[in-house]
Amino acid sequence: MAAIYSLYIINKSGGLIFYKDCGTKGRMDTNDSLRVASLWHSMHAISQQLSPVNGCSGIELLQADTFDLHCFQSLPGTKFFVVCEPGTPHMESLLRYVYELYTDYVLKNPFYEIEMPIRCELFDINLTQAVQSDRVALLGR
Amino acid sequence: MAPVGPRSGDAIFSSIDRVNAELFTLTYGAIVRQLLTDLEDVDEVNKQLDQMGYNIGIRLIDEFLAKSGVSRCVDFKETAEMIAKVGFKMFLGVTASVSSWDADGTCCSIILEDNPLVDFVELPDTCQGLYYCNVLSGVIRGALEMVSMKTEVTWTRDALRGDDAYELQVKLLKQVAEEYPYKDDE
Amino acid sequence: MIGVGKMKQYSNVLDKPLSKGKQEVSLSAFAFLFSELVQYNQTQVDNIAELERRLEDAGYAVGSRVLELLCNREKGNRRETRLLGILSFVHSTVWKVLFGKVADSLEKGTEHEDEYMISEKELLVNRFISIPKDMGTFNCGAFVAGIVKGVLDNAGFPAVVTAHFVPIEGQQRPRTTILIKFADEVSISTSLYMIYLYLEKLNLSPGLPTSIHAAQVLKREARLSQ
Repeated sequence: MAAIYSLYIINKSGGLIFYKDCGTKGRMDTNDSLRVASLWHSMHAISQQLSPVNGCSGIELLQADTFDLHCFQSLPGTKFFVVCEPGTPHMESLLRYVYELYTDYVLKNPFYEIEMPIRCELFDINLTQAVQSDRVALLGR
Repeated sequence: MAPVGPRSGDAIFSSIDRVNAELFTLTYGAIVRQLLTDLEDVDEVNKQLDQMGYNIGIRLIDEFLAKSGVSRCVDFKETAEMIAKVGFKMFLGVTASVSSWDADGTCCSIILEDNPLVDFVELPDTCQGLYYCNVLSGVIRGALEMVSMKTEVTWTRDALRGDDAYELQVKLLKQVAEEYPYKDDE
Repeated sequence: MIGVGKMKQYSNVLDKPLSKGKQEVSLSAFAFLFSELVQYNQTQVDNIAELERRLEDAGYAVGSRVLELLCNREKGNRRETRLLGILSFVHSTVWKVLFGKVADSLEKGTEHEDEYMISEKELLVNRFISIPKDMGTFNCGAFVAGIVKGVLDNAGFPAVVTAHFVPIEGQQRPRTTILIKFADEVSISTSLYMIYLYLEKLNLSPGLPTSIHAAQVLKREARLSQ
């Protein structure tokens, strides 16, 4: 099964609030992940301008020869995106699931300050389980 | 990806984790009591309850969207229906209805047919000015603000204050158009 | 719309029939409310001990009302007068009503005579909560400890009740233990009661006087040993 490289969450104003390396390949240091997040935030915004009709919500999938990038933006504006090997299946479902985990283990945590970097043990634990390849396959049902 | 269609409030409510309403009701009662002790002023308590509701609303909106499959509403009318039919049901297990629309469709009433916040509650003489359920108005205001709608939410009927129902008036003040945020000179 | 907004009116809350307690709200609604309770109280305190105390206070208010409610509804106004009775009432009846299940365990403390522990692998109020590292051993279960204290105090069994994380071997997440330490007077009267039961069981005591005598002896002993 194709591998997931990494998972990002960026807040409404484009700040990286969560980053996770998911495998051994394609790991990034903090600076690089911040750079990717801010690049993507801008690209996503610019892509909305490309639309010939109104109401475009931006790129959902970017495919390149070395990676796929799947992005899900919630209506309030938080972006969740996953970078993976080309052709990795079930990524939309994974992002939806991560969104649900975020509403549970981040937003219901009284010690989480909204829009700030996410440091919630339970979110990490559940996310680590979710990105395991056998779990991801289950999301495809 | 095929959009996940909106689900009915009933379907969502029956599929999610639930708790006994009494735990919720009594916990809310404990919060109101703490505020009355801390702030010693009914108006301040009303404000704080509204603020707490707002704080809940700005977080709860994501859960609503994630679990309901509701996406962008076409207009404020649809939004109000979603709050009443899906929102109240999925969080509080009660249905609400929308009525009293104004001519330009920016102001309506949401009427609660049942209100789990108020079980066991009676306002003592010292708290007659209290909007006991003010948290709810804050929740709606906060949640809508996160999806670009500035609203004003006020109680028009409150059974704890002798009215025959719980009725909230929701007024759309401004719909912030979603567009590329740094268009011109930024 | 027709028929909307008709709610049965009672001039007085006491006239309203007591609900059967079957209504439900979503766990999320409770979780958001609880989170807000914790956040509000954080703005009112300078340190973690105070935060614990305030959450306990909030829980206490819930506990005392739950006792009222359940005594009315489930026990036909009969009040529990035995210590073990009230403990099992908390561990099973109260837990079931508030948290939808009986608590995982109720044990007697091994180190002290008058300590009991109610443990839960995953306390409902902690379901979505991660404690930041800088808050040390703080546990939002302080609210539940308050509920337990509220029930016990109002049933006539004053106790100090606290919530603690206890690591479980082989598990990522610790469980929460609600530690109940009864005031001395309670433990004495419990001991008395135990002796009374014991005597009665052995059939050594046909009537009360012997056991009262035994109790008095014990009470004196207890005072002397303090």
